[in-house]
Amino acid sequence: MGYPAGKAPGHLTALIAEVFEELMPLEEIRAEYRIFDDIAIDPEAGTLKVQEVTFNPGRTVSGQIREAEKAALFVCTAGATVSDRSRRRIPDDDLLKLYVYDVTGTMVVEKAADMMLHELRRKMEAGGCRITNRFSPGYCGWDLAEQHKLFSFFRNNYCGVTLSESALMKPVKSVSGIIGIGREVRFAPYNCSLCDDKNCLYRGRKT
Amino acid sequence: MNQLLEKLSACVEFGKIDIKSPYPPSMKDQEGAFELTRSALDAGISPGEILEEALIPAMSRVGQKFSRNEIFVPQMLMAAKAMSSSMTHIRPYYLSGETKRKGTFIIGTVTGDLHDIGKNLVAMMIEGAGWEIIDLGVDVSVDKFIDAAEKHPGAVVGLSALLTTTMENMRRTVATLKEKFPHLRILVGGAPVTTEFCEKIGADYYSPDPQGAVDYLSALVR
Repeated sequence: MGYPAGKAPGHLTALIAEVFEELMPLEEIRAEYRIFDDIAIDPEAGTLKVQEVTFNPGRTVSGQIREAEKAALFVCTAGATVSDRSRRRIPDDDLLKLYVYDVTGTMVVEKAADMMLHELRRKMEAGGCRITNRFSPGYCGWDLAEQHKLFSFFRNNYCGVTLSESALMKPVKSVSGIIGIGREVRFAPYNCSLCDDKNCLYRGRKT
Repeated sequence: MNQLLEKLSACVEFGKIDIKSPYPPSMKDQEGAFELTRSALDAGISPGEILEEALIPAMSRVGQKFSRNEIFVPQMLMAAKAMSSSMTHIRPYYLSGETKRKGTFIIGTVTGDLHDIGKNLVAMMIEGAGWEIIDLGVDVSVDKFIDAAEKHPGAVVGLSALLTTTMENMRRTVATLKEKFPHLRILVGGAPVTTEFCEKIGADYYSPDPQGAVDYLSALVR
């Protein structure tokens, strides 16, 4: 939320605690993935082909997964409750609480996706493989519209998530994307020097 | 300045919504923006004076503190909420025509983008500055912007985007709107947007914060 550690106003920390209490035990968190071994990556062209579908994630993402022998396509959601609570319309609602729901929902889904990644890594390592970081349409210059290609690999309502015509997920606090798998792939933390997107929201942000 | 207006201005600046609101703790159990606005109107202070002497300066101070990183989004939201509670008493005067709006501002987050916190903040601050707000929401298609611009001739349009990948949708929206309404003024904002991008896509103004948008609009009607 921007505050230096320990500097948030007392009422805000109390409100965050109240929101956490309301949302627990967060039973709607779900994550699912499908692994495909029929893939082809062209880092120069910035493309990734999974079965017959060609994605254009750009050179940043395709470069990160260039050594992959398989790809996991995933969806992860924080669920409808936190998503819906963060989207209620003004002016009748408590804006600050909506904001706390919004930030909390983002944090929950990001952490859930990290846990899914951890679980996938554990499984793959048991078979002698490694995994890359996760990459999503909408970031690193990967066109959000390619969500439609991604979701073409999933059954309807996969993981409880649906896609709108404008490529937005519902529940809104959801993430989708791709993870590279292979013996030679490298897990690289998100690093702005890899990406030429000078306008990115997350550029320069310490995570 | 009238003492009542001074107190009201402080309530908005520090996010004291009403008497029940426990925040900020230093104002606990005191009347907030809601009650003080009612009292000001009952005391014969005009809605225009309340806006010009209390609400607008308060939100301007909030905007400036935000621009200087002295406060963050939660405090902006508290201030905006306090102002909004004040506006519940002021709005009827606009509707009756007794108090004139400065203009109409159409705002929305572009198609493909669901982020609305920044957009809502901008909308509330601009409303507090005396403008009618037509909030089209999030994931707004070009057609919806066109419909709104047709319904509200002379309005200014504000477009928001938070993702670099939806900036392209912002470009398309600006291009289509400018083609259809060459004299339409369009403001753009959102974390990835810059002055250079604004100029490149042919929008009229970019502001990195809500206060900049308020200042731009104020200059238009000065």
